Amino acid sequence: MDALLGLAGESALLPSRIQMAFTLATHVLLVPLGVAFPTLTLVMEGIGIARNDPVALRIARRWSVVMAVQFAVGAVTGTILSFEFGILWPRLMGRFGAALGLGFAIEGLAFFLEAIFIGIYLYGWKRLAPKTHFLLGLVLPPSGVLGTFAVLSANSFMNTPGGITVHEGRVIDIDAAAALFTESIGYEFWHFMIALYMTAGFAVASVYAVAWLRGRRDHYQRLAFAVPFTIAAALTPVQLVVGDLSARGLVEDQPAKFAAMEVTWTTRDHNPEVIGGLIDDSGQIHFGVVVPELDSLLVGYSTNAVIRGLSSFPAASRPTIVEANITHLAFDVMVGLGVAGAALASSYFWVLARRRRLPEGAWFYRLGAWAGVGCYVAVEMGWITTEVGRQPWIVYGLMRVSDAVTDAPASYVWTMLATLVVVYALLASFFATLLLRLAARWRREDLAPEEGAPYGPRPERLEARG
Amino acid sequence: MADLIALVLLLAITAYSTAGGVDFGAGIWDLLAGTSSRGRQARALIDHAMAPVWEVNNVWLVLSVVLCWTAFPSLFEVTFSSLYPLFTVALLGLILRGAFFAFRHVADDARSHRIADVVFGVSSLLTPFFFAASLGAIASGRVGSGSALEASFNPMTVAFGVVSVAATAFSGASFLVGDARRYAAPEMVAYFQRRVVAAGAALIATGTGALIVIASQVPSLLRSMLTGPGLPFALLTMVLTPVVMALAWRGIFRWYRISTVAAVGSLVFAWGFAQAPYLLPGQLTIAQAIAPPATQTVLLLVTAALVLLGVPAMGVLYYLDQRSTLESPEA
Repeated sequence: MDALLGLAGESALLPSRIQMAFTLATHVLLVPLGVAFPTLTLVMEGIGIARNDPVALRIARRWSVVMAVQFAVGAVTGTILSFEFGILWPRLMGRFGAALGLGFAIEGLAFFLEAIFIGIYLYGWKRLAPKTHFLLGLVLPPSGVLGTFAVLSANSFMNTPGGITVHEGRVIDIDAAAALFTESIGYEFWHFMIALYMTAGFAVASVYAVAWLRGRRDHYQRLAFAVPFTIAAALTPVQLVVGDLSARGLVEDQPAKFAAMEVTWTTRDHNPEVIGGLIDDSGQIHFGVVVPELDSLLVGYSTNAVIRGLSSFPAASRPTIVEANITHLAFDVMVGLGVAGAALASSYFWVLARRRRLPEGAWFYRLGAWAGVGCYVAVEMGWITTEVGRQPWIVYGLMRVSDAVTDAPASYVWTMLATLVVVYALLASFFATLLLRLAARWRREDLAPEEGAPYGPRPERLEARG
Repeated sequence: MADLIALVLLLAITAYSTAGGVDFGAGIWDLLAGTSSRGRQARALIDHAMAPVWEVNNVWLVLSVVLCWTAFPSLFEVTFSSLYPLFTVALLGLILRGAFFAFRHVADDARSHRIADVVFGVSSLLTPFFFAASLGAIASGRVGSGSALEASFNPMTVAFGVVSVAATAFSGASFLVGDARRYAAPEMVAYFQRRVVAAGAALIATGTGALIVIASQVPSLLRSMLTGPGLPFALLTMVLTPVVMALAWRGIFRWYRISTVAAVGSLVFAWGFAQAPYLLPGQLTIAQAIAPPATQTVLLLVTAALVLLGVPAMGVLYYLDQRSTLESPEA
């Protein structure tokens, strides 16, 4: 019957990979605000309470609505991801679910708590004393951290599996702590956590940087810019260090990924650092800037440090040339953006320290507006680096992506992918329209912005739509 | 311990069926409300009732999926390998529903409103149908033994799907009676009272039909439902559904919502207990599929944390929902 309906045919590997990449890339965009926005909102509310500043409270209250809307959209895209594990990669979970699932179970708990406490936070604006409201809100940041840890724990299991005993292809025993805290969780967690806070901070600030450029420069705009921007800017130099440690960790943990990131072909000392550029299948580098000795120096603090090259891995167990190039360029873009962010952050703190006020140049705010976009790009690039750089493995060294894929026909997955692209485009446009409507409404009036928002209290009267 | 985890999974599925059911049911009534002035009023009520819980019930769904792959990896693999067509449609309905519910609030012209209403309503119908159909597929015993198409589309999947649509419409109407009362809209209270009765009748009719299908397709399941461990729950459903209908008919607004939840929840339990100890009838038992002990321990700890932290938090939320507002801090 399958053949009759034209459902039989080639493997669904390619469309499954594209679909997973597409839906994950979308979900990743919602994560920074989902995890870190509550903290920014609470800092703002704390300022409002401490200084008795109604403007800060109004900002926090509006932010909480954006937080809820975006959390709801993230809940949809996250639900889809959880089903895709079964629809696209049933064998991954069939074999490693008992270990890989540990993180996700904890994430389920965190998700549950976040949903309820966002509800409490929104309801509480009009129903709780300010301090109680603030204190109950304090549950949100740790829930976000817990959820992030849990998902990254699952991801680092895929990168550096541990804590399992495999017998004849079956996981027969598990050490839960070792499976949750695998080799790479340390740097993956801190690197991503900081990235989320930076991105949320720069992204929120960028909205008010645009407002500044359009001439709206009152207390409201300045405060809403300064708080998130300061937090993000303070984290930027930290991220340079943590990012460096992450890359260093890969040298040991996933040498093939590191070789792809640096497009190193042959194992050697005095390895140069290639900035930009592409590698071909004979190991030649084209375009790009080659800095002699630098890679060895960065990795081993000595030009004699030996770096393993791609050619030292069997061809079937390392990223292909195309994948290596994608990994390399994504990595370079991420690092470049990180360095640019650090420069912007230093100029900000320089002005702050010298003149004790916010910068006033239009250029600063133009760059500030772009910093939000830049952070999202950097997050995507970092994610591409780690996922594409792991190819052809879905669980490093233990299971190939091609062995995990569904038996569903390719045509089926292609159709599903096309449908999802259309639906996601709709979702994105509705989401954007909704946010713009909110902004427009707030310019007119906003006695209780949280009413009628997802997770928020019901409006008090029943009004029919037009 | 394995049985306990299976029970937690069944509870998560039940929570989604009941809480999510209320939500989907409201969407179904939205679809059926029509364009008359009363229909518009009903739709406004549905809008107001649903906005605060938009997509929040996905929590239960995600928990069920995660529990399934963590606690019973082989069940997860086989089920998804066979039933991906059902899950794909259910999922599509889920996104479209969420997206177009949001779109209703931003659409400008009447035509886009109408489109949004229809897409929202139809997807509210599709999602519960196809999720329940997957449970029917599992109960049919064809998951893992037949082809994906045979497993996904057979009399059992249709029977479970149809019952779930009636059950969600029933839950939806019952809770909308409560919402209408809250907004002091007597006309809407009566409107949904009538619908509770109608949906209850539909639930009894489709439920009976489903029993006949089960009798012809999987007699062993029917036996277990009517004489085995599924019996108390099957009885509970059979008693509570008419009780809710009678309460709604007579306008006795006490215990009707909790009874609705119990009626629909028992329906899920009747299936789950009748099928135990099998996860896949005749093929895979709880003991065969369960993950190693360390995983079980973590799952029970997570469940305990969920209960200890989540239940009081939900209590706070409920309290806030009932509490009148303080003076606005900005006023």
